[in-house]
Amino acid sequence: MTANNSKLPEKRVHPLSLRLYWFLLLAYPLSFRREYAPHMAQVFRDCYRAEKINRGLPGVSRLILRTLLDLMRTAPKEHLENLGKDHSVMNNLRKDALALLGCIGIIVAAFLLLSYGRRHEVSSILFFGYALDALVTAGIVGNLIVFLLVRTTRLNPLRTALWTLLIVNGVLLLVTVIIGSRVGGQFRLGSVIVGYLVSFAFWFSLHWIWAKTKSDGQVAVSGGP
Amino acid sequence: MAKRKSDPELFLPLTPAMFHILLALADRERHGYHIMQEVDERTEGKVRLGPGTLYGSIKRMLANGMVEETDERPDPDMDDERRRYYRLTDFGYRVARAEAERLAGLVKTARSKKLLSKA
Repeated sequence: MTANNSKLPEKRVHPLSLRLYWFLLLAYPLSFRREYAPHMAQVFRDCYRAEKINRGLPGVSRLILRTLLDLMRTAPKEHLENLGKDHSVMNNLRKDALALLGCIGIIVAAFLLLSYGRRHEVSSILFFGYALDALVTAGIVGNLIVFLLVRTTRLNPLRTALWTLLIVNGVLLLVTVIIGSRVGGQFRLGSVIVGYLVSFAFWFSLHWIWAKTKSDGQVAVSGGP
Repeated sequence: MAKRKSDPELFLPLTPAMFHILLALADRERHGYHIMQEVDERTEGKVRLGPGTLYGSIKRMLANGMVEETDERPDPDMDDERRRYYRLTDFGYRVARAEAERLAGLVKTARSKKLLSKA
């Protein structure tokens, strides 16, 4: 790094190292990443080139180790600073906790209703069991994937939810139909399809309402005095 | 905020990384990698800023008004325009000077206690 090599010849940087560094940058808060991640990656790329030319593999190894230690030291610091600044982490945690409690509440209410239906042989409630199975399974799998995608990428949350829930419900429906048709017995194809349609409509509606309230809130904040 | 900015003493002592960055920018504007290189060369490899330390410090110094981004390129033909250049503000210069004086005071004390030989 001692050489003046800001204009080093364009030599291909080991793509794995750079990709790994891009991935590791996810450890920083989103606001920090948006502002500085491309520049940090650029600096890492410059250092990598310089070390490779001047010191070879040992230099590159030391650079990677140094960069990892730097990341471990500075990423928590940036998070702590964010925490003290605008309480965004606490707000997000509060929102996530409320959403989780809401989901648990819905699932518990549905199970109680279903057990009541089974005890009293209420056929309309028994039919609800198909929708409940789909709601719980697709809800857990789909929302987990949506959560991970939204947190780790810059994809549009509502569009991500739409396609993820569509795919997850579709795959689960397919699996249920394949297994159900082999088991036979009391398997009812129509009820299963309706169940997954209800599940998709329910979870996507929740995401739509969530996105709408969020965008309304942002408009209200930015439009304020 | 204006009062905070007017008093460099409130920012002392600076972190070593911040002081090194201010020193690197004292004579000219530089981009991130140039700052790292300058610090590395000046300290003979004893201080090496990582990307997180560098940009974390720059973020704080931008917020405190010690440095600012600049559109000027020392040599536009020889550089990548996507790089961000930074330069010292007047306030940043005053903070760096106050920190240097503080350190000089410490060195003077160390000399008076015979911890350092006279230059």
